[in-house]
Amino acid sequence: MQSLPLPAPPQSPVELPFLELRDVSKYYPTPKGNYTVLQGVNLSVKSGEFVSIIGHSGCGKTTLLNLVAGFTRPSQGFVSLENQRITAPGPDRMVVFQNYSLLPWLTAYENIHLGVKSVYRPQNETERRQVRQIVEEHLELVGLTDAAHKKPKQLSGGMKQRVAIARALAMRPQILLLDEPFGALDPITREELQDELLGIWERTKVTVLMITHDVDEAIYLSDRIVMMTNGPSATIGEILTIPFAHPRNRARLTEDPQFFTLRNQCLSFLYERFALDIDHD
Amino acid sequence: MNTMQTYLEIDHVDKVFQTEAGAYPVLKNIHIEIKQGEFIAVIGHSGCGKSTLLNIVAGLERPSAGGVVLEGKEVRQPGPNRMVVFQNHSLLPWLTVRQNIALGVNRIFRDRSPQERKAIIDEHLALVHLTAAADKYPHQLSGGMRQRVGIARALALQPKILLLDEPFGALDALTRGRLQEQLMQICNQHKITAFMITHDVDEALLLADRIIMLTNGPGAQIGRILSVELPRPRQRMAVVNHPNYYRMRGEIVEFLNEQKKSKKQRELNRIAIAISRGNIEKVNLDLGFIPLTDASPLIVAKEKQLFQKYGLDVELRRQSSWNSLAEHLVNGELDAAMMLAGMPLALSAQSNRLITTAMTLSRNGNAITLSNQFNQPNTSPVEELRKHILTAKEKPIFGIVHPASMHNFLLRKWLIQIGIKPDVDVELVVIPPPQMVANLIAGNIIGFCVGEPWNTRAVLDDVGFIITTGIDLYEGHMEKVLGVNQIWAQQYPFTHLALIRSLLEACAWCQQSRNREELVDILSKPDYLNMNPKYIRPSLCNPIWLTKQQTRYLPQFHHFLVKNKPCITEYEWVLKQLTEWGILSCQNSQEFLKPIVRDDIFQEAIALLDLNLLKLDTQVSQQTSEVI
Amino acid sequence: MTTTIPLPQRYSWQKFLPIVLPPLIVLVLVLVVWQILCSGSNPRLPAPITIIRESWHLIVNPFFDKGGTNKGLGLQVIESLRRVAIGYALASVVGVSIGILVGTNQLINRGVDPFFQVLRTVPPLAWLPIALAGFRQAETSAIFVIFITAIWPILINTSVGVQQVPQDYRNVSRILRLNRWEYFWTILLPASAPYIFTGMRIAAGLSWLAIVAAEMLTGGVGIGFFIWDAWNSSRVTDIIIALIYVGMVGLLLDRLVFYASKLIVQSEE
Repeated sequence: MQSLPLPAPPQSPVELPFLELRDVSKYYPTPKGNYTVLQGVNLSVKSGEFVSIIGHSGCGKTTLLNLVAGFTRPSQGFVSLENQRITAPGPDRMVVFQNYSLLPWLTAYENIHLGVKSVYRPQNETERRQVRQIVEEHLELVGLTDAAHKKPKQLSGGMKQRVAIARALAMRPQILLLDEPFGALDPITREELQDELLGIWERTKVTVLMITHDVDEAIYLSDRIVMMTNGPSATIGEILTIPFAHPRNRARLTEDPQFFTLRNQCLSFLYERFALDIDHD
Repeated sequence: MNTMQTYLEIDHVDKVFQTEAGAYPVLKNIHIEIKQGEFIAVIGHSGCGKSTLLNIVAGLERPSAGGVVLEGKEVRQPGPNRMVVFQNHSLLPWLTVRQNIALGVNRIFRDRSPQERKAIIDEHLALVHLTAAADKYPHQLSGGMRQRVGIARALALQPKILLLDEPFGALDALTRGRLQEQLMQICNQHKITAFMITHDVDEALLLADRIIMLTNGPGAQIGRILSVELPRPRQRMAVVNHPNYYRMRGEIVEFLNEQKKSKKQRELNRIAIAISRGNIEKVNLDLGFIPLTDASPLIVAKEKQLFQKYGLDVELRRQSSWNSLAEHLVNGELDAAMMLAGMPLALSAQSNRLITTAMTLSRNGNAITLSNQFNQPNTSPVEELRKHILTAKEKPIFGIVHPASMHNFLLRKWLIQIGIKPDVDVELVVIPPPQMVANLIAGNIIGFCVGEPWNTRAVLDDVGFIITTGIDLYEGHMEKVLGVNQIWAQQYPFTHLALIRSLLEACAWCQQSRNREELVDILSKPDYLNMNPKYIRPSLCNPIWLTKQQTRYLPQFHHFLVKNKPCITEYEWVLKQLTEWGILSCQNSQEFLKPIVRDDIFQEAIALLDLNLLKLDTQVSQQTSEVI
Repeated sequence: MTTTIPLPQRYSWQKFLPIVLPPLIVLVLVLVVWQILCSGSNPRLPAPITIIRESWHLIVNPFFDKGGTNKGLGLQVIESLRRVAIGYALASVVGVSIGILVGTNQLINRGVDPFFQVLRTVPPLAWLPIALAGFRQAETSAIFVIFITAIWPILINTSVGVQQVPQDYRNVSRILRLNRWEYFWTILLPASAPYIFTGMRIAAGLSWLAIVAAEMLTGGVGIGFFIWDAWNSSRVTDIIIALIYVGMVGLLLDRLVFYASKLIVQSEE
């Protein structure tokens, strides 16, 4: 390993790492010494890539996402987006949470509008019209034009998550961070939203970093699956490249011999090589 | 079924809810017999009434008709012999873990001494690995731990049957996975009879002996029952690596996907209203196919607009497995389908519908592929294989695509030729074609007999080699045939004739060697085989890759226009095979085959056909005569 | 899921200062403004310094007893609290009992609920004349007013709480075949406890409000009559001191019930 001060910008523009985590560790001080959550994480994500992070609870997935979001800062190493160090949250990295986090007193439209307005800060009528157009476009993107004026409590879980995704995308982030976005949904809705997210990603080619517990979801959606070892001191155990071409079709995927091989590889990592013992909770 | 063995019987249960809008049927005619020590999983979408079913077994609700019988006694009330583990754990938040378990124990075992009762509680705390958390309150525990307390609380009462209502539904996928393994261990150790409601396919396959699939409500019924014949004790990785696993998983997923379509849509599919034009009684047809090179005639007829030429408007319906293809044909969702040669016979014998075939779609096209482990330099692969089979601790497994397939017969024939007894020395397991290669890679099977492009795929992906082809075993054997319901054939005779004519012309097109490159391109499209042409080309255009180094020139590997007229003697041979291998039994073969094999319809179809259409570039006269 | 990390625990002034300081500043500010506003000649209200000067004996000596109604504020408050305690205790016992009865029986609930809804809106003091007519005794009447004020929130909350026992818990009890007695103690009461305590907390506040008003009318020893008496003898400074006592005791009562509920109720989360 060379010990150069900071990485020199890569030469080839094609290989330019978009999101980069270099030697990232995160620990919290406790009376008994440091508690290490993440240890030596290295990951480069290319622009337009869909990367999933999978691992048992307590493996530091959420910490990793928070580092990229800028909610916390690494104890060692650095996280950078387009060669800019990430030190604080910003509209270039939008997070979608499992619990939707919509404002209950605003309609779907208003929830999205609020976010867009805060990013674009329209000054005159033309700009305001543009903002409204962006909101409408994104409502349409997630198929919620008809439900634009409903409040969150009138929407189903799946629809709420659609609004949350639309809100995040409407701010035109460079990277979309999804924290177990479909964990709280029933299986049918979950599959519907996976299809929809895949469609949106295939159209917009936004870079996505998604945390999930679901092996099938990860294989169906991602270009690469980052499998985490167990905490404390969790790190990247293995990265699985998913070679299926886009656009993908769920039914076709299961007709591909590689699907079963990849699925079993992933299951073997999680249930054999890095299984959690029964008492862990 | 042996009634002596039935432990719990859910006897033709109906449940109707009375609502303001009138009677709402939830469950219809649910009949399940459960043996002692059996683990039953009921799977279905949310809202299909599975929880209602569990509540009826638990005695929390009364059925509107029918009843539940446990060990010969009808149950009408809840009781400690049927303990429920609820999805939301339902622990009492004001009691500690120990107190929650003690509540039932003290109540049910009141005649025992306090020491004995404490021992029971301690034992069950240890069983779920929660001894250390005994004095914690539920809110201090994680979701997974709470659910374990729920299981311990239920088991501590030593119930006769454990009822699990989506026990892990509220947990994340990985925690769920770990709890499933733990529950499986407990059930194995204690031989527990269990009845579990779930919507998780992997969970059902891991835990259950039988999986009951419920249709969507209102009026949910048993849609299908799947016996999970995976060896016990089970290990998750061993289970998912079992060659049968993804076939069974696929069947359940497909069933659930089918249910997902709205009821209306399904009705629409079923009763596609016949549109007639001219003398053709039904022009709008749905044809089932499996993505294989053998499907060429159907695909070409569609792509080259030959169906239109004969006045038909055809949709090709891709099927995920032979079983689902058969089901959709039998229930009338498909008008016709490509079939394995033995399927019309097997289906006619097994279902109450007669399936008729009046045309053979293709001949040859199969090969037997072995795992590369037997392809060592300077050794005979057959010798290596024989050695492996005779020394293996567990019976090695070969993959076939369907019991009533030519693959099954050819593989058995070949095994006997090389001195291996099928079923005795090796096991033959049904695996859908796309999963063959994956199973070969994973080492779950040592070889398979399957149609193209899957042999070539195994060779080019460097996991297997072709040891022999169907041609070597039975030159010119029937492969795929056109199957229709007999009733359908009677209802729409002219449609049937038009279909045969269009497919025959497509067969002629496919047979032409100059069309083969174009055929490769058509087949590789996402709608059809969805595969790189390099895997499809060898068998159609030659040479065929036997290994990554060795090729063989077999121009007759796929025959589409040879003896398309069904031949009764060939079917007699197929029937003999089916009988010999115990797939079906038949007293009078003549009588049985007569309504199934309809060479007369084929004859009628070509009677008015311009035979020039079937002319090939070479060997014209010979080929044309062979068709007829 | 996140891992909780124990943080080093440091108790120091720095931690409490931000909590204690702001109310202290506000208090000082209010006193200063009050002092300035009421410092002219012959103000309508006495200024803080005047209050301390004139009522000094009340402040320094809460427990003097010179016979009759001439007692220290501490003794006055204790006397009022005694009445509240009796009325409130009666209301709790009767309210919870009737609440459970009404909550578990749909038919009774339908029968009595409309009357409860009407009666609970009657202001506490409106009951006093009726009580006096019925009991012909000031003491009993005052206690009755407390009782009738406190009972409605307890009763109504209890009956709602009982009706809200989750179906899951009922199922658990059915499967375990708990008898009525076991069901009552292990499921019904704990499950409705949060509701009952909410009712009791509201009731405690209302009783204290009611007693001050009732005592003004019934007379005798008690903080309410003390205020009335002070007004009649133009001792405005005494009234202000008494008001401070009333406020403090009200707050204490509320906290008391709150902590009692925290102690007893094991909540789900």
